Amino acid sequence: MMTEDYIYLDYAASTPVDPRVFDRMRECSAATCANPSSTHAAGRMSQDIIANAATQVADLLNIDPKTLIWTSGATESDNLAIAGGARYRAHRGKHIVTMRTEHKAVTDMFDTLAKEGFEVTWVDPGPTGLLDPAAFEAALRDDTQFASIMFVNNETGVIQDIEALGNICRQRDILFHVDAAQAVGKVRIDLGKLPVDLLSLTGHKFYGPKGIGALYIADRPGCHVEPILFGGGQQRRMRPGTLPTELVAGLGMTAEIAAGRIDDDLAHLRTLRHALWDGIRHIDGVTLNGDPNGFPGILNVSVDDIEGESLLLALEPLLVATGSACNSKSQEPSYVLRALGLTDLQAQSAIRFSVGRPTTMPEVEFAAGHYRAAIEKLRELAPEVVT
Amino acid sequence: MSTNPYSTRVRELFAMTPHAGDVVGAKSVSISDQDVRIRLSAGVEDGIVTAMRFRARGCPHLIAGAEAACAALEGHAVAGLPMWTSADLMQDLPVPVEKTGRILVLEDAVRSLGQRLCDGT
Repeated sequence: MMTEDYIYLDYAASTPVDPRVFDRMRECSAATCANPSSTHAAGRMSQDIIANAATQVADLLNIDPKTLIWTSGATESDNLAIAGGARYRAHRGKHIVTMRTEHKAVTDMFDTLAKEGFEVTWVDPGPTGLLDPAAFEAALRDDTQFASIMFVNNETGVIQDIEALGNICRQRDILFHVDAAQAVGKVRIDLGKLPVDLLSLTGHKFYGPKGIGALYIADRPGCHVEPILFGGGQQRRMRPGTLPTELVAGLGMTAEIAAGRIDDDLAHLRTLRHALWDGIRHIDGVTLNGDPNGFPGILNVSVDDIEGESLLLALEPLLVATGSACNSKSQEPSYVLRALGLTDLQAQSAIRFSVGRPTTMPEVEFAAGHYRAAIEKLRELAPEVVT
Repeated sequence: MSTNPYSTRVRELFAMTPHAGDVVGAKSVSISDQDVRIRLSAGVEDGIVTAMRFRARGCPHLIAGAEAACAALEGHAVAGLPMWTSADLMQDLPVPVEKTGRILVLEDAVRSLGQRLCDGT
């Protein structure tokens, strides 16, 4: 997506809303303003809109629509799943497990639970960011009741083996949560087959509106969450609050569109990512961070002895990210990349390119050339290392 | 309140760096501190700085500051360099408080180079 001034390559941070989604939201807004909790005719119309959206999202994931809880986005879904799930199971054990490379919405919630008396084990990934299922299993204990592993890493695009990890949890009756904010609508997810108990998603990562997400809660014994919000009986009391009908409708349409084009999107992204990497991989000292077989929408690269902030400015008009976009105001090196074994300096020079549906080959070719030129300029500016 | 971390001045100085490089055969200093590296060199005639160049690895404010300092100090008396202060530069760019340490590395480099030039070392 190229505006007059910029080339947007930050689709892992957020995506533009598909015009068909806007149309659906406008249509719903015009049809009814009623609170979906109201029992009159207009309220029932809102309920129908929401029920239709639930079916659209459910079809994308191959689940029963009744297993969805609407939220404000992935952060809330993660918080509800982790706090609600771990607390629900606390009477059976207070050991919980996650990875060091999870999103802050997960790690901060685990830190909060640790303050409540839960015992947290942080599992380390391998050097490419992949979690070895054997290492995951080794971290589990008899009193482990909850685990959370993300599907697609937001910084590196690494795709975890959710099926293997979920099977390990099922064998031990551990509640298994997956943060799929970067995966839903972008990679095929069949929850009819995957052993996942709780799954977080958000609309704005796959061409839907901001401010709307969902949490899938599997319909099986022992799989439940305690609420973290209070004040009404909506959504079986698990997530009270008036539902934003238009946003829910928008998320439903987002899911329906995605379901019909995931494979085409993936092929497009693979072509772009390959061209981008091909255009920069010969730069002296450049490193790909993550798994080469990860999600093709994300390419995270570091380069030796380049200061990250200057690189970001030199890369304008490219709009890219250093580290996690949610945390990009921080000058701290990415904790995700540090967990992969990168030094502070390597992590600080990391740039995350993320391409999307609207990205074109000329944009990617320009980006590769501009990245090469920026590195060359900053290296020319730099003095030799003082020893 | 602007959310842009860089002023127009910083952007201009960062984009165009005619003072980047070395004054060949001239005295120079190199300093590495606060996660930045900087090298300054200066040519002198009759006690006046005739040319000043920098090399820097650091944030945009440091690079912009080095470019501005080199441009400003050409034509100045060498005797003033050991007392040079970056206060005006910090206001001119401006430099956010969390980066003042890096500009002070630049200040140290200017002063150190000035001292070398004055001492003839």
